[in-house]
Amino acid sequence: MSRVPVVINGVLVEAEPGETILNAARRAGVEIPTICHHERTGTKGLCRLCVVEMAGRGRPEPACATEVAAGMVVNTESEELAALRRTVLELVALETNVEHDDGLAGWLEKYGADPARWGEPLAGRRARQTIRDNAFYLREYDKCYNCRRCLDACGEGIQGVWALAFAGRGAEAGVTTVFDLTLAEAGCVFCGNCVQVCPTGALVPLEEISLAAGGLL
Amino acid sequence: MTPRVQPDRVVSTVCPYCGVGCRVDLYVKDEKIYRVMAREGPPNHGALCVKGRFGLGFLRHPDRLTTPLVRREKGGALEPASWEEALDFVAERLAQIASEHGPDALYFVSSAKASNEENYLMQKLARAAAGTHNVDHCARLCHSSSTAALSRALGSAAMSNTIEEIPLSSVIVVTGSNTVETHPVIGAMIKKATRNGTFLIVADPRRVGLAEVAHLWLRLRPGTDPVLFGAMARHLVASGRYDTGFVARYAEGFEEWWESVQDYTLEYAGQVTGVPAGKIQEAAERYAAASAAAIYWAMGITQHNHGTENVQALVNLAVLAGQLGKPGAGLNPLRGQNNVQGAGDMGALPNVYPGYQPTADAAVRRRWAEFWGAPQPENPGVTMTEAFESIGRPGGVRAVYLMGEDPITSEPYQDHVRAALEELDFLVVQDILKNETYPYADVVLPAASFAEKHGTFTNTDRRVQLIRPVFKAPGEAEPDWWILSEVGRRLSRLTGRGDPEGWEYTGPDEVWEEVRRGAPNLFGGISHARLEREGLRWPCASEDVPGVSVLFTGGFYTPSKKARLLPARWRPPAEEPSGEFPLILSTGRVLYHWHGGVLSRRSALREAYPELKVEVSPADAARYGVRDGQKVWLVSRRGRIQATAWVTDRTPEGVVFAPIHFAEQPANRLTKNAYDPTSKIPSYKQSAVRLEPA
Repeated sequence: MSRVPVVINGVLVEAEPGETILNAARRAGVEIPTICHHERTGTKGLCRLCVVEMAGRGRPEPACATEVAAGMVVNTESEELAALRRTVLELVALETNVEHDDGLAGWLEKYGADPARWGEPLAGRRARQTIRDNAFYLREYDKCYNCRRCLDACGEGIQGVWALAFAGRGAEAGVTTVFDLTLAEAGCVFCGNCVQVCPTGALVPLEEISLAAGGLL
Repeated sequence: MTPRVQPDRVVSTVCPYCGVGCRVDLYVKDEKIYRVMAREGPPNHGALCVKGRFGLGFLRHPDRLTTPLVRREKGGALEPASWEEALDFVAERLAQIASEHGPDALYFVSSAKASNEENYLMQKLARAAAGTHNVDHCARLCHSSSTAALSRALGSAAMSNTIEEIPLSSVIVVTGSNTVETHPVIGAMIKKATRNGTFLIVADPRRVGLAEVAHLWLRLRPGTDPVLFGAMARHLVASGRYDTGFVARYAEGFEEWWESVQDYTLEYAGQVTGVPAGKIQEAAERYAAASAAAIYWAMGITQHNHGTENVQALVNLAVLAGQLGKPGAGLNPLRGQNNVQGAGDMGALPNVYPGYQPTADAAVRRRWAEFWGAPQPENPGVTMTEAFESIGRPGGVRAVYLMGEDPITSEPYQDHVRAALEELDFLVVQDILKNETYPYADVVLPAASFAEKHGTFTNTDRRVQLIRPVFKAPGEAEPDWWILSEVGRRLSRLTGRGDPEGWEYTGPDEVWEEVRRGAPNLFGGISHARLEREGLRWPCASEDVPGVSVLFTGGFYTPSKKARLLPARWRPPAEEPSGEFPLILSTGRVLYHWHGGVLSRRSALREAYPELKVEVSPADAARYGVRDGQKVWLVSRRGRIQATAWVTDRTPEGVVFAPIHFAEQPANRLTKNAYDPTSKIPSYKQSAVRLEPA
């Protein structure tokens, strides 16, 4: 199939037909920040951190969920984009305990994010209870910012089990199981593919918790 | 913003559980594995299951064997000994029994949990140092029927497609495999393919996980497989839907096969199998019409007294439909153990040398005699099941060397196995953990686990992968390859067979180099150095090729290059349910446990699935007065075990299903020691039992 010519940050890139702007940019060595996107689970388009500007389009759109088209002119960095990303990052950090997140610190620093400018951290997500209902892993939902990778790993993306579900609205929205059942009751097969893709450390093997606690748990 | 635990190191290796051969990164801190992550890329593409992810606790379990033990006199106790004493004792006793009763009085059981290099050394120990073809491994109990039928008909006994081809099949047939529990990563891939448009046909008496998502579920009566698949094939021919071009070019034996299925009409098959004739017809037509259709199967096909016929019936169907030799079309036995493919490849079988070179061929024997500098026996070896049956009989086996095998939990008719072990002159147990068989041993040799040594495993789609040590083996435990080379050197010196110096190896890579020279057609192009960079599939004859993905693209590996159609007829089971024993007992596995439970029940998996649950259909529960969750006795002509009843429509009326993982409640106390006459596999899927409230 013929390549798709697109311009990313002023450089001509030969993209593959059907691939996303994010993929084309990454192959061309252009870094676009992401939180929710995950190749394996298919999660995309939620966190809005990867928004980019495209000539002729009125507003920024997510690079992870937009396919390339011939002649597209893409800009991945600008003051406006930085401001948007800064706000997204600040709200995530304001609402969530991100102390074990594996990539957020770098983005917060890069975009000069200052969650404190919005006031005190919000209780909402930080007040969520930790759930221990099985022999394998813990769900520390104060650390979850609803990226949905776990849901996609459990359902469509990998496992086809759909033990996890999304419930609640607004600040109350979060990952749970249907009717808040235990994982075993919800049909979980404990593959741990949700633990694998969790970026925040909200889903964590009991062995790891135990080791971190000096074997006391 | 840091991880809770900073690893001391992250070791990339291969999961030790099933034949999918998932690649894992083990996160280690303070000599403890605290996190297991899947690697991207083949074979598991970023996914794992509960066993690999959370089931490695056995590595640090107190039941690990840490020092050699020797029973210095019969009836005495097993006492700690030095490696020197234990190795000398093993070699001297084996040599003594071989000289008094002939080398065929010895039996060597290799291990599908051990590496390729170790399996190679075990069969070398039997053939070169002891002088017998009496070597086998646990594939005898799982896929020997597949090996027998596929080798005979196609010339190669392995999955003919790769895991990466699953999404390329427009029709997938899964039969006799509870894939989502026994090969969970492949099960999830098949489910995903089904969501993306693949038409899924499941033929299974049990409502297994894949049956719930199948487009077509053929709930056949246990053991009626040859009639079902024979009728599908017959219908394709009778209605002109078979691939005449493929058959003309690539098949032989059509007439004899066609004669053999004359009575297998759709209507007859409907009566015998209990599957409506219309569904059988639809399955046949969809399978044959698919652009690419693959068949996957496991123990539900093989573990019958007509297991070889069951597999042959699948071969016949695939050949007639021309569904072989292209991407996404083929025949795929899902291999159970992490290295069961490799154990066979390395010649840990009585009838073949490494690379499936037949022992019956005098030229092959001459070649290996020269290769090892040791005369090669002409007597054919016997299978493991035959060997256990022969113990105590004139001319039978008198000494058994077990590597990573626990026959008390794995062989049928446990009381019979116990009695046989009592009668042995000499038993070596080489293992990582105390198993059920170890109290019978005369010598116990403590082995290193997969996480404590180098080597290679070969997964179910023929991918050879490197394993790497994570930490040091506990106590004095040593890798199997080291133990075998030490025994080999000593035994070779005592029997005068071969050169004792031929047992000096610096490590597994040197053993592998010997494998490459011994079986160049399959492994010549695979080196440890290459495997550092990539997994490679056999056949791979030279370093400049990547290894073959799809088998049979240019014909078959038989001498005539053609596939052999052969009659595959149904036979009644060795034990029909009747009278006092009105139910069929089928045995198998559950998601959370592994085989005899030696590994999985010494990990966090134990808590998730603590005890034996027997599946009972609602109709049988009502008939025998059993409630869900109630304690029951399962009773066969050979023994009884207690279990908790799980009343569920997963199992059909007339059939109870018991997992094999529980040493205190061993399903194999009940199973019958009846075997397929060709493959010698036990018919684990059909014993007669009754159910009693406890």
